[in-house]
Amino acid sequence: MRSENFKRGLQVTLVWLLILALWEGAYRLFEWRCYVFPAPSHVLDSLLHLLGIKTWFGDPFWAVDAAGKSQAFVMNPNWPCHGQGLQVSGAIWNSELPAAVGTSLLRLLLGFSISVVLGLLIGLAMFRFKFVDALLGPVFLGLQTLPSVCWVPLAVLALGINETGILFVTVMGSFFSIAITLRDGLRQTPTIYRSAGLVFGAHGIRFYTQVMLPAGLPALASSLRSGFSFAWRSLMGGELIFVLKQHGVGHLLAVGREFGDVGQVVGVMFIMVLIGMAADRFLFAPLEKKVQSRFGLGQ
Amino acid sequence: MIQFLKKTFGGGSEAPATIGPRGRIEIKGICRQYPGADKPAMLDVNLTIEPGEFVVIVGPSGCGKSTLLSMVAGLAKPDKGQVFLDGKLITSPGPDRAMVFQEHGLFPWLTVSENVEFGLKMAGVHPDERRSASKKALELVHLSAHADKFIHQLSGGMRQRVAIARCLVMDPAVLLMDEPFAALDAQTRTMLHEQMQELYVEMKKTVIFVTHSVAEAVRLADRIIVMHANPGRVRRDFRLNLPHPRDFDASDVAYYMKTVRKEIDDEVNAQAGAARRLSEGVGNYEI
Repeated sequence: MRSENFKRGLQVTLVWLLILALWEGAYRLFEWRCYVFPAPSHVLDSLLHLLGIKTWFGDPFWAVDAAGKSQAFVMNPNWPCHGQGLQVSGAIWNSELPAAVGTSLLRLLLGFSISVVLGLLIGLAMFRFKFVDALLGPVFLGLQTLPSVCWVPLAVLALGINETGILFVTVMGSFFSIAITLRDGLRQTPTIYRSAGLVFGAHGIRFYTQVMLPAGLPALASSLRSGFSFAWRSLMGGELIFVLKQHGVGHLLAVGREFGDVGQVVGVMFIMVLIGMAADRFLFAPLEKKVQSRFGLGQ
Repeated sequence: MIQFLKKTFGGGSEAPATIGPRGRIEIKGICRQYPGADKPAMLDVNLTIEPGEFVVIVGPSGCGKSTLLSMVAGLAKPDKGQVFLDGKLITSPGPDRAMVFQEHGLFPWLTVSENVEFGLKMAGVHPDERRSASKKALELVHLSAHADKFIHQLSGGMRQRVAIARCLVMDPAVLLMDEPFAALDAQTRTMLHEQMQELYVEMKKTVIFVTHSVAEAVRLADRIIVMHANPGRVRRDFRLNLPHPRDFDASDVAYYMKTVRKEIDDEVNAQAGAARRLSEGVGNYEI
């Protein structure tokens, strides 16, 4: 079983490498317009550049003559480093990309935390009190369908171009979904846990902490999981438009577009996917899986 | 070994009322009507259950037998009428009425022993006492080896035994069982019937047991209440003069069972016939 998985993984990797090689080869042989769509080497080049490392990866093979001058079109005319090998300027951790990732993660942590607190409180209230549900349920369901970037203009006008504005966009983009998912999940928890809790003497606060909270864990886990991905998307959308002193990952994407550096654009997109996937894979999926296996679900 | 279960005993009906055995249930004039329904779901249900009696309630779907059990548990309220336990009006669930649910209702986030201890924990019993109580209860249902497992790791029959152990540690006045073995296979069910008999003989508590199955009723009951639907009310009240534990294959037991079962079957078939005429509703009984 394990060796079969390994074999499959190897096959997939090889085919992807082949596709990338063909892509790269096509660019180099047919002079694809690299300012429209980048070759893999451009993406790598841009990412390394964001880490403070200069390379020659982005240049076509024949672009460099003996004197080190470009002959064909050069991907990044600003970085003439031909024939000089890799150049590392300063510590990698102080370069643009790690700083931006750090900034974004900090904003994400703050925004997501606020979303979780608000979303759980309101989701619980909607589950517990019919009136709150009637009052807020339809509104939340509607607002949940609003793309998070659409909160940006309001944030700019109401709060200004600052950290608060970006926080607002992140929270608005995720907390409705957390509240709605939690409410729906709690509604699906079997009522038998409730009855059993009451029969065996769980009252008041303890009824909630000892019965309803653990019974709602699967709902909680999935609402956190979807809420996180909403928060991440909202933040990236917000950073793309907000230009603040502290550059986030979304800002790097905007910079890439402004300088026509399509390698950076795709590279930063790749980083965004990577961060989103890593959080889901190493944080939220294991959490959900653990809860589900404890409940004997999804096996 | 089971001292904690023997704190009370049932049976002796001549015991004085003040210090008499616990577990006398009086159901008086219960009516229930669902909003929007033209007919009442239950109409004037009256029943008195003596301490230590093993009462099985049988009846078709919709006769209100499970609802009646919920009312004794305090989980449901009648529109009219009252339920008393040892002369006290039942208004809410309480630890003196432990219940085994149809789908066990055990908490999947707790281990087997934590599930068994849950009621004691809620009652504020010291952890050491809880542990020894759950150990004894699990011994009684032959599950000591599985104390640290989670519920999803157990078979259906084992889960119901845990659910029974969870009730036993409470030392309740009444044990309520809502179709507890309905979802199990025939072999497991027979095994649990035997275990149930042993437990009943040892603890002598009032048991109210709801089921679809007439065979199950005859195996377990001192008294069988047949209910009928539309509206739900008590139709017949059989008393079985068979000692516990019963050997289901012994000739006199078998004969007794056969006759009682025939009577109930006739009753049930008459009802089923009426039901069929009413709404093609057949097959409510598992015989």
